[in-house]
Amino acid sequence: MSDDTFVVHTEEAELPPEPPPHGPMVWARTNLFSSVTNTILSVVFGGITLLFFWNMVGFIIGEDRRWDAVTANMRLLMVQAYPQEQSVRIWLSLAIILVLAMATLAVWGAGTRLSRYAVGTTLMTAGAFLSFLSLIATLHLVLDSRTAVWGLGGLVVGLVLAGVGYQMRQGEESKVPQIPSLMVTAVALAVPIAAFWVIQVPTPILGGGQELAPVALSTKLPLTILYLIAVVSYLVADRTIGEQERFRGPLVALWVLSFPVIVMVILRDPIIPYDLVTSTYLPIGAAFAIVGAVVMWFVADPTKKEAGLGVGALIFVLFLLSWAISVVMVVRILLLMGALFALSAPTFAGEQRARLRYAGVWFVSVVLVTYFVVLVVAESSIRSESGSFLGGLMLTFPLAIAGMALSFPLGVLLALGRTSTMPIFRLLSTAYIEVVRGVPLITWLLVAFVLLPFFLPPGVGIQGVVRAIFAVAFFSAAYLAENIRGGLQSIGKGQYEAAKALGMTTVQMTVFITLPQALRAVIPALVGQVIALFKDTSLVTIVGLFDFLHIARAVIPNQSQPFNFIGVLREPLLFAALVYWIITFSMSRASLRLERKLGLGER
Amino acid sequence: MAVSDKDIIVCEGVKKWFGDFQALKGVTTTVKEGEVVVIIGPSGSGKSTFIRCINRLEQHQEGVIVVDGVEMTNDVRNIEKIRSEVGMVFQQFNLFPHLTVLDNITLAPLWVRKRTKTDAQERGMQLLNRVGIPEQAEKYPGQLSGGQQQRVAIARALAMEPRIMLFDEPTSALDPEMIKEVLDAMKELARSGMTMIVVTHEMGFAREVADRVLFFDYGTIVEEGTPEHFFTNPQHDRTKLFLSQIL
Amino acid sequence: MLKWVAQLAFLAFLIAVVVIVGRVVASNLSNRGINFGWQWLSDPPGFSIREGIDTTPDSGARALLVGIVNMLRVTVAGIIFATIIGTVIGIARLSNNWIVNKIGTAYIETIRNIPLLVQIFFWQALMLSLKTFGEEDVGSYFTHSSVKGIALPGIFPSDGFWQWMVFVVIGLVAARYVFRWRSRLMEETGNESYALTSAIGTVLVFAALGWFLHPLFGWMSAIWGALEGLARGIPAPLYSWAIALAIVAGAAWWIRGFFEARKTPAGYGKFTDDDIFRVAFAALSGLVIAGFVIWLSSRVVQVPSGGSLEGDVTIAELIRLGAGNFWNFFENKFHGSAGSPFAFELPSIELRGAGFAQYGSESIVITVPFFAVFVGVTVYTAAFIAEVVRAGILAVPRGQTEAASAIGLKRSQYLRLIILPQAFRIILPPMGNQYLNLAKNTSLGTAVAYAEVVAVGFTLSNQTGQSLPIVLTWMVFYLTVSLSISAVVNYYNRKLALVER
Ligand SMILES: Nc1ncnc2c1ncn2[C@@H]1O[C@H](COP(=O)(O)OP(=O)(O)OP(=O)(O)O)[C@@H](O)[C@H]1O
Ligand SMILES: [Mg+2]
Repeated sequence: MSDDTFVVHTEEAELPPEPPPHGPMVWARTNLFSSVTNTILSVVFGGITLLFFWNMVGFIIGEDRRWDAVTANMRLLMVQAYPQEQSVRIWLSLAIILVLAMATLAVWGAGTRLSRYAVGTTLMTAGAFLSFLSLIATLHLVLDSRTAVWGLGGLVVGLVLAGVGYQMRQGEESKVPQIPSLMVTAVALAVPIAAFWVIQVPTPILGGGQELAPVALSTKLPLTILYLIAVVSYLVADRTIGEQERFRGPLVALWVLSFPVIVMVILRDPIIPYDLVTSTYLPIGAAFAIVGAVVMWFVADPTKKEAGLGVGALIFVLFLLSWAISVVMVVRILLLMGALFALSAPTFAGEQRARLRYAGVWFVSVVLVTYFVVLVVAESSIRSESGSFLGGLMLTFPLAIAGMALSFPLGVLLALGRTSTMPIFRLLSTAYIEVVRGVPLITWLLVAFVLLPFFLPPGVGIQGVVRAIFAVAFFSAAYLAENIRGGLQSIGKGQYEAAKALGMTTVQMTVFITLPQALRAVIPALVGQVIALFKDTSLVTIVGLFDFLHIARAVIPNQSQPFNFIGVLREPLLFAALVYWIITFSMSRASLRLERKLGLGER
Repeated sequence: MAVSDKDIIVCEGVKKWFGDFQALKGVTTTVKEGEVVVIIGPSGSGKSTFIRCINRLEQHQEGVIVVDGVEMTNDVRNIEKIRSEVGMVFQQFNLFPHLTVLDNITLAPLWVRKRTKTDAQERGMQLLNRVGIPEQAEKYPGQLSGGQQQRVAIARALAMEPRIMLFDEPTSALDPEMIKEVLDAMKELARSGMTMIVVTHEMGFAREVADRVLFFDYGTIVEEGTPEHFFTNPQHDRTKLFLSQIL
Repeated sequence: MLKWVAQLAFLAFLIAVVVIVGRVVASNLSNRGINFGWQWLSDPPGFSIREGIDTTPDSGARALLVGIVNMLRVTVAGIIFATIIGTVIGIARLSNNWIVNKIGTAYIETIRNIPLLVQIFFWQALMLSLKTFGEEDVGSYFTHSSVKGIALPGIFPSDGFWQWMVFVVIGLVAARYVFRWRSRLMEETGNESYALTSAIGTVLVFAALGWFLHPLFGWMSAIWGALEGLARGIPAPLYSWAIALAIVAGAAWWIRGFFEARKTPAGYGKFTDDDIFRVAFAALSGLVIAGFVIWLSSRVVQVPSGGSLEGDVTIAELIRLGAGNFWNFFENKFHGSAGSPFAFELPSIELRGAGFAQYGSESIVITVPFFAVFVGVTVYTAAFIAEVVRAGILAVPRGQTEAASAIGLKRSQYLRLIILPQAFRIILPPMGNQYLNLAKNTSLGTAVAYAEVVAVGFTLSNQTGQSLPIVLTWMVFYLTVSLSISAVVNYYNRKLALVER
């Protein structure tokens, strides 16, 4: 090369970017036919996919499908034998949950903004998929020489959706995030709600056969009202308390309270034994609350470090002694609670305000616990054949929630034990975790159902649902512990040293520094565990509880009255699979969102 | 150091998009056999993308790249042929952590060139001698310093006896005291008449060994010329600005 | 100090709780007139099992064994198939072919989010919707599927099988040498030497030879007989002492390893409380377990009449009997003149009794419960394995692929030489976890009446009322399986980790 070659290529500082090669042909070339192997793969697997959907749609709309077994038993699947005239209680519970959920979304500012392009892409995909399925359905129906109106309708709707989606993707500014994601969700949810008023579902006819009939008013009206409640409450919450941090604490408290209130008060409808309350529970509760509050205020004094431990140990001895005499259960529970409160007093000890707050927390806890014990002692006014007012999906959810709520503290304790420097605690935690995880859940359920009677003092019986909750919780705790341990081990040494340098005790360090960080770090794993637990609740069907799956696979196929569904197994099972799928899939998607959001906030 | 008249790499209007982002906006240049070309330019200007297109680690969407008479297409045989002709050294070394240093070097001769094991090992040791670390042959990459690792990477690329070597910022992941040992190995290579394309921020190296310097910005070659012209008398505003920042 | 007080106090509290609960249990049992013991192990179980190595077991222990074998059957088959399917799907999810990629994603997202039990029920329902058969279908088929299962042509080990196996084993050993030799040849000459092909060929040659020559090994019967005599000749207590000794040796070995690990050139560092506790605990538990073994093996159990032992025998004698029977098995399998190693059978439908059609007893039938559990756990676990595989491959830095292709390796070569060895180390621990989950999930077979351990145990406990011992048996069994799988995984993990540094 000669020495004086010297080239200036451009005079402008920057060439304008050109749009990349676009269009369906380019897309197909890069994604489907980029090489010979790829072309073969595309053809073969495209064919297989086509065949799969052809058969699947054919199965679903087949002439002899008994989907009426599902629609006719919808109430059973959802709430089992909960009395129909009381169903307003269920709707009320759902409304409470929805309002709380909407308030939470508003306070946390959960919504994001989506670009027109992204929404358009989703619409396009969904529309294309819908028309694809409808096309297959139409072909099936035509080949069967049955009317194909619904199939053609789906085809048209799908094409329109895809067209709208395509339009939304056009234009330069389509990639700017501007559409609120919650609005998209609301519109998307409005579709099934509206569909309930339009579509007709297979319904059995007395004496045999099925027909297409509109959805029952008792289903679609409450659902529509719930939808409207949700929308309105979000809008109201967004205007009033939207994104205000000070409402977060109360909301969490409301969530914690909502579960026992909904299950024990609203759904269970207890008949409160007022004479018992005035004669026993009120005096006991009041005495514990007032005397205890004074004691807690006294021990939560940082200068009286050993006092808390001494008082705690004393109350604990009292608790042990209480088993030797016959007292009402609530006394023992409150004594145990008192011991724990006194023992942890040094951890929360502080100035006058902190002491008063600690006493206040004690007071409220006693009131709540006493109230809860009264609720448990009270009889339920709801009677049902299976012996429990919970059933169907309305058993599956409480099982999962209660199981999670119980397993969480236990899991934390086990994780702390397993990472502790104290060998005996570590040994015991490790043994617990390994033994529980080494053995399948079904055996623990059988233990709870077959063996537990031997372990209880005479006269004490525990309901099947409660047993299942305990089995699930003890099982899940071992897995949770392992997840949390991962989080604890991921915390840097610097955190410990910093905490030590501040003069914190080991307990304070754990409660205020390491544990919160560890839990935050393992949120995805924890959500994964929640999902696993939710799926695991289906195992209670093996021990004969009337959960959602049990009704789908054991109750419906054995019905002969008023309609004959003997042997109809695949349809309810497929429906059950669909419901489980929708729930777990949304949970896993939500967890992905959460993960991304937390990740963004952190880094 | 003889630069022949034979064109060994010819690029004609090379364009490349990542999604909607255009990383290369039509790059046209020719490299002659035995030439040492240094590419400089600000971060994100498409330097890496360009040299990765030359051995098809990235696929360009428009334009033509011809390496040693073979055009880059989707044809697997062409790609394999070119890759055994073109060696590449990465910023992050990319040694295989589960193989010893010597195994790293002999892997390709054994499996691609079908050499015998003794032959390949002999040649591997020669190369390690050439880059100055024969005593590290039996260690694993994780046990070496960065500079040593990068020299192993050079030896690994040379083991295929390539006709062209690509270097993508080979010294930017190194501590200052290790940079020299790697640059020395590269200079030695340049003197032996290897065709080299080097992306680097080491201006001393560019001045000393480059036959030609390309200045990249916003996905195009903004300016090119001999090192003397380039460093003493840059023409383009962007080039001047860049050089004033870096020198 | 305070820490130890707290720990010991807690331990004391725990022991107190156990004692109190124990007394409650005891009083409950005596109130209800139940006596927990292990007699059910030797008593006839009083029910027959639908499938397995023995459908009419003569003792509870035998029934449990049938359940265990059934469980291991699904587990092993499930692990193999789930690994294959999962790997394929995991790789499919990395494909740049849109359709293949989406199929992989759809599979994972569908299967993972539906409870396994629902899926098992679904596969069962699918089988139950097949047609039945009756008298008019009697005959022989190549394959046949119906509500009673899927019948497949079967290959059975026949008379000459075990002698033929001797040839196969010799062939395997020879193949090892052939493989080494050919690999060395390739390294020396650089030419393709077809090492794997020649090794497989060697095995095939030996297998083919054995097909005709296997009667030659009839004389080995005498060796097995001698070993049997030896096994029966050793005094029974020696067996229990040998096992106990092995346990103590294991504990000693662990302690030695512990000290080794603490050893520095400057001697041992200071031992913490924790270290001392560990060593003491290991030593103590070794001795306690060994003592327990000796105590247990001198216990007397009742054996039902009919076998070679009757009446009251110690467990040590039972162990000795087992060892003798083991060699006896081989002794009986070796004959001087034996038929072909395998027998082939096509499935058939035959009449059993009046108008009652059944698959022939020689047909290999995949029963509905087996199908449901097997397909269920395989499909389910494959979805998780796919994620594991995908994550493992993605965890190998992109630079590795780039560097490998830049030096000219082909896709198949760099996958085998660069990506998989690195991905494998990452994949192994979570893969082991999935295998464990699969093994435990086979217990859901109970729900579709697949006769695995839990189902058999549950029936036993219903029949005998011995729920506590049976639950303990379950736990011991599952813990053994879990610990074995994690031991294997840990072993390979350590081995692979050594390769790197
Ligand atoms: N795989 C990819 N996906 C999307 N964008 C990419 C990818 N690789 C590179 N880019 C973008 O292409 C542009 C050019 O990248 P390139 O790596 O070639 O820059 P560079 O000149 O080598 O910069 P540096 O000096 O920092 O290495 C950058 O803006 C980068 O963000
Ligand atoms: Mg770069």
